[in-house]
Amino acid sequence: MKLTRRDFAAGLAIGVTAPYVIGSARGQGATLKIGMCAPITGPAAEAGKYATGGAKLALEAVNKAGGVLGKQLELVIEDDQTTNPGIVLAFSKLAAQPDIVAFLGSIRSTQVHAMAPDVLKLGKPVMFGGTDPNLTKLGNPWLFRFRPNDSYSGRVIADYGVNTLGKKKWAVLHSTDAFGTAGGKALSDALGKLGAPPVLDQGYANQSQDFTPVVLAIKSSGADILGSYFTFENDLGIFARQLRQLGVTIPWVGSPSIVNVTALKLAGPALYGTYGVADYAEDSSPGSKKFGTAYREAYKVAPDNQSSWPYDAVTVLAAAINKAGSTDPQKIREAIISIKKFPGAEGEYNFDDKGDGLHGYNIVKNDKGNIVFDKHIEFTD
Amino acid sequence: MDLALQLLFTGIGIGAVYALVALGFVLIFRATNVVNFAQGEFSMVAAYLMVVFAVDLGWPYWVSFLCALAGMALLGAIFNLGVYYPLRHRTFLPVIIATIGASILMANSVLAIYGPQPQVLEGWFETPGIQLGPVYLDSQYLLIIAVTCVLVAFNYWFFEHTMVGKKLQATSQDKEMASLLGISVSTMIMITFIYSAVLGGLAGILVAPILFVSIQMGSTIALKAFAATIIGGFGDVTGAIIGGLSLGIIETFGAAYISVPYKDAFAFLVLVLFLVFRPQGIFGERVAEKA
Repeated sequence: MKLTRRDFAAGLAIGVTAPYVIGSARGQGATLKIGMCAPITGPAAEAGKYATGGAKLALEAVNKAGGVLGKQLELVIEDDQTTNPGIVLAFSKLAAQPDIVAFLGSIRSTQVHAMAPDVLKLGKPVMFGGTDPNLTKLGNPWLFRFRPNDSYSGRVIADYGVNTLGKKKWAVLHSTDAFGTAGGKALSDALGKLGAPPVLDQGYANQSQDFTPVVLAIKSSGADILGSYFTFENDLGIFARQLRQLGVTIPWVGSPSIVNVTALKLAGPALYGTYGVADYAEDSSPGSKKFGTAYREAYKVAPDNQSSWPYDAVTVLAAAINKAGSTDPQKIREAIISIKKFPGAEGEYNFDDKGDGLHGYNIVKNDKGNIVFDKHIEFTD
Repeated sequence: MDLALQLLFTGIGIGAVYALVALGFVLIFRATNVVNFAQGEFSMVAAYLMVVFAVDLGWPYWVSFLCALAGMALLGAIFNLGVYYPLRHRTFLPVIIATIGASILMANSVLAIYGPQPQVLEGWFETPGIQLGPVYLDSQYLLIIAVTCVLVAFNYWFFEHTMVGKKLQATSQDKEMASLLGISVSTMIMITFIYSAVLGGLAGILVAPILFVSIQMGSTIALKAFAATIIGGFGDVTGAIIGGLSLGIIETFGAAYISVPYKDAFAFLVLVLFLVFRPQGIFGERVAEKA
């Protein structure tokens, strides 16, 4: 047989393109991919480990139960470096892979704000844990929240402090990033509605090395209760110690970071007796308990909200894609929005058309290092 | 008044930490004419060494402290041989870039070995602090201030009254001349790197019980220490101390009386003002370009 120039060219073309065609077909066939932006490095690297742990745990459970649309789920993780440019880069790397059907974003509101324009441009569902209420009011149909937003946490903190603890002179302390600013505003607004506007509204910059001026401001304000929104556990730990050292013993009700595993470890006794709103409380529901047991068994550490929301995000996403019967983004969106009374680790999911899945918070107390569940407060408005 | 006294104490305490790290910057700059951007990472590595020795291995605090400082001396020597020495005949730019590279390497090596978890290192004293009238004195800050005072005295004695100190000064002033006088320049530079690494490590170990031990702790302190060095006058030991203390006091009072969120801005505003109106710093001498 004589090899013509045309045969040779055709053979060469097939030879060069075949691996890509076969690889692509295999890529489309074998697994269903979910992208995850997580802080593998940077100040939240510790939390990132918990987040990926939670997501992987859900992934195993979903795959064990038969996967999604008959395929095994696969998680593709990119490091967001705990920075806004970092998450934009991580998301663009993931978005460039056409076989990724949905994504997990960040627990940090400021990072979700940073990636939101790219999410809108891509038009695929992104699950996130940031609690700035504005994130689901951006008109971006692809953002789905797996933690209750701060309008709820602010209302719960205010309600608990004013009505249960009977305190009316509030000092509100918050980080000046998107999360802290929105949380502080939500708390101040809720206090205003309860007839107890704060006597001190104090912001601080993340990664502060010293909180003496803040503690002294709280002291001289005459406040009889403190409400806080801390973003980083390091800051919370330093502040808690200095607060106690400088003799401030007023009741303290904090945002979820006050009951994080890392914060408890760093601040130790300085946080004893404080209250926190916690989206994840192990004893709050059977779903929370089930997740807690599985997480402890897998990683030998206590679960917290850093790991519970990615766990729920993967579980709900898998259920939604199965329900949609397709990986078409619009159909997945409709399936997520239609999810009601879904028992998750964080609580019962009832998605509204804005993309908010949870509408209440738990109140917990730090009883000498043990986080004790007090009550769950759910809002319907 | 009570408020001001409390702020002054905290400002001096945090300023003393900046001063210790700034001292490391200055010593290396004097000896080699380059800025060592890995100085902050020396603090971080030392704090982690303390965690390994005192917490993980459960060694007595003093033994752990001495071992951590010995480890820092070794790191300083390796840093000199691996980062500075191969580039010593090049311009300052490749050396500075190499120090930045080394700082990234150190931070990520610790991250890879020890993981991202921030660690708790207990302070030297069981009593967290004492109440002196209206002012609460944190025992760790008291220790930091005391160590800084001792080091200022030690530096003066070492550089002015010992032969090695005088040789180091001669090397920093004119390497060629020092070499002609029989001083081993490379040995002097080696001593400088070891001493600077130990100083940076000391700052890290002292501040760790307050700021916790984390990968970022070094870079946060180093940035302020760098500003302190410029304010004090680059290359001046007294300037580094005064610059560090001033910066700590300015940012603490600025935060209390003007704005907490802009605390860091006050430090860098002072830095910019110095760069514009007195670039040689408080104690630096004006160096004119030769025609």
